[in-house]
Amino acid sequence: MTNPEPVYDVVWPLAPSAAPAGSLAARSPDLSGKTVGELWDYLFKGEEMFPLIRKALETRYPGIRFVEFEVFGSIHGRDEQELAATLPGLLRKHGCDAVISAVGA
Amino acid sequence: MLRAAAIAERAGVPSVSIVTTPFMQQAGVVSKGVGLPSLPIAEYPGVPMTDGSDAVARKVEALLPQLVAGLAGARDTARPAAAEPGPRDVVQRGSLDEIQEHFHRNLWSDGLPVIPPTLARVERFLEQTRRRPDEIIGRLLPENRAATVWSIAVNGVMAGCRPEYMPVLVAIVEAIAEPIFRVEDAGSTPGWEPLVIVSGPIAKRLDLNHGQGVMRVGRQANSSLGRFLRLYLRNVAGLRIPPGAGDKGSIAGSFNVALAEDEDAAAALGWSTFGVDQGFTRDDSVVTVQSVVSVSPPIYSAGTRALDHVRILAEVFGGACGYWSSIGMKYARWEPLLVLGPSIARVIADDGWSKDDLRRYLHEHVTITAQQAETYALQVGATSYTLEAHVKAGVLPAAYAASSDPERPVPVFVQPDKIGILVAGDPGRNQSKGYVNNHIQGGRVSKTVSA
Repeated sequence: MTNPEPVYDVVWPLAPSAAPAGSLAARSPDLSGKTVGELWDYLFKGEEMFPLIRKALETRYPGIRFVEFEVFGSIHGRDEQELAATLPGLLRKHGCDAVISAVGA
Repeated sequence: MLRAAAIAERAGVPSVSIVTTPFMQQAGVVSKGVGLPSLPIAEYPGVPMTDGSDAVARKVEALLPQLVAGLAGARDTARPAAAEPGPRDVVQRGSLDEIQEHFHRNLWSDGLPVIPPTLARVERFLEQTRRRPDEIIGRLLPENRAATVWSIAVNGVMAGCRPEYMPVLVAIVEAIAEPIFRVEDAGSTPGWEPLVIVSGPIAKRLDLNHGQGVMRVGRQANSSLGRFLRLYLRNVAGLRIPPGAGDKGSIAGSFNVALAEDEDAAAALGWSTFGVDQGFTRDDSVVTVQSVVSVSPPIYSAGTRALDHVRILAEVFGGACGYWSSIGMKYARWEPLLVLGPSIARVIADDGWSKDDLRRYLHEHVTITAQQAETYALQVGATSYTLEAHVKAGVLPAAYAASSDPERPVPVFVQPDKIGILVAGDPGRNQSKGYVNNHIQGGRVSKTVSA
């Protein structure tokens, strides 16, 4: 007669979520007259995409203006953590009503 | 990129992020991790780096409705997350096979069998530390889970560690939780893998191999410590390859076994040990973790003078680093590691060379052309990168823009003091090996091992 196979009671290998609660910022339905900040990781052809986006949105939304990505510097560079700390202040300083962040690839 | 968008949203500024199709699943993990699962995304179809200008223009035009919808119309749509088990909750009861199946199905294993993490086993690990089980060592992005001492013990059990390894496991997690390690980028496409280096008396106490076959699976401490870290990154940082998400290593590699130094050999040369180079004493037990993105060929060198060896080391180690050095230059923080065979280190030291002499030699003699550096970086995705701009921005020393000649040589090793040098491997053979790290991702971090 063989021994019965052992039975194991096992625990969960993950850990509690530390994701902070949050909600999206309030939106304005019209981008006319708004200021849009460009956040770029300096990768994957953002330097081609942003000028195209600017041009297209400027024709559709009168008075829209852009704070170009050079103003913020790379959001994925050596100084990313420092930038993260200063970004809210920079957005306020430049009067950004919205941001486009690119490029995730 | 999504992290920046989340910061903007929390500052009251609406955002939309451009993400390419192959990264949409990872974007979902990151969005949840930053606590904003409904972060608006405009999906760029395909791979920008293989798109010509016409295709980029066409795809950007197609993105516009999504961009506008994200900025002007997005709202929170995520449902509250389902409740998750508590640490002591039994999540499955079954035979060994049933446990393996359950863990595989839930993506909780690395594809190899795991030791079932029973309460009794976990508690044996916890007895080896004075830390409270619910102590949080740090938060690990992208899934953003709390790295509790309890979760370290559970994954240590699963990886096949011994309970007495627990203080080392805690030190490993302390290291990867440091901001400079950037665990949030451990799922990036280069597919870098962390390397654990154990220094000081603990290495001998735990019977870590530092000799022949040091980087081969086969010694329990080396193997299971390395496996633990990969499992922990899957389960707590949330870095899973398909059918999971979060880990976008394009080809990537498997876990590295933990590395230990032949410290007696290093000391006999009159050289500092790796642990001492990291700022500790020889009596300190220390864990260092850094990224490794690729490994050099075995570097055989022969001769009785230091130059006989360092010339070959510069050629082969430097050559292995050359392509990736463009990324090291882009971020100007790069920490390659050279593992010198004891017999090689002996010749170099006997000829009067210090480790710093070797570092200086590598810095001065290993170069690529400026054009290669910029071309290599472009291939990875740095589409607007130039050495000149990085010098102007103060990221690189002036020597990198000494002229406008694209054929000018530039040093592969930006900061020679960041080259790690360690003595290990077969003392009976004349072989060394180099480990290339992934620039600022997986930056070298050392932590003291304590109970």
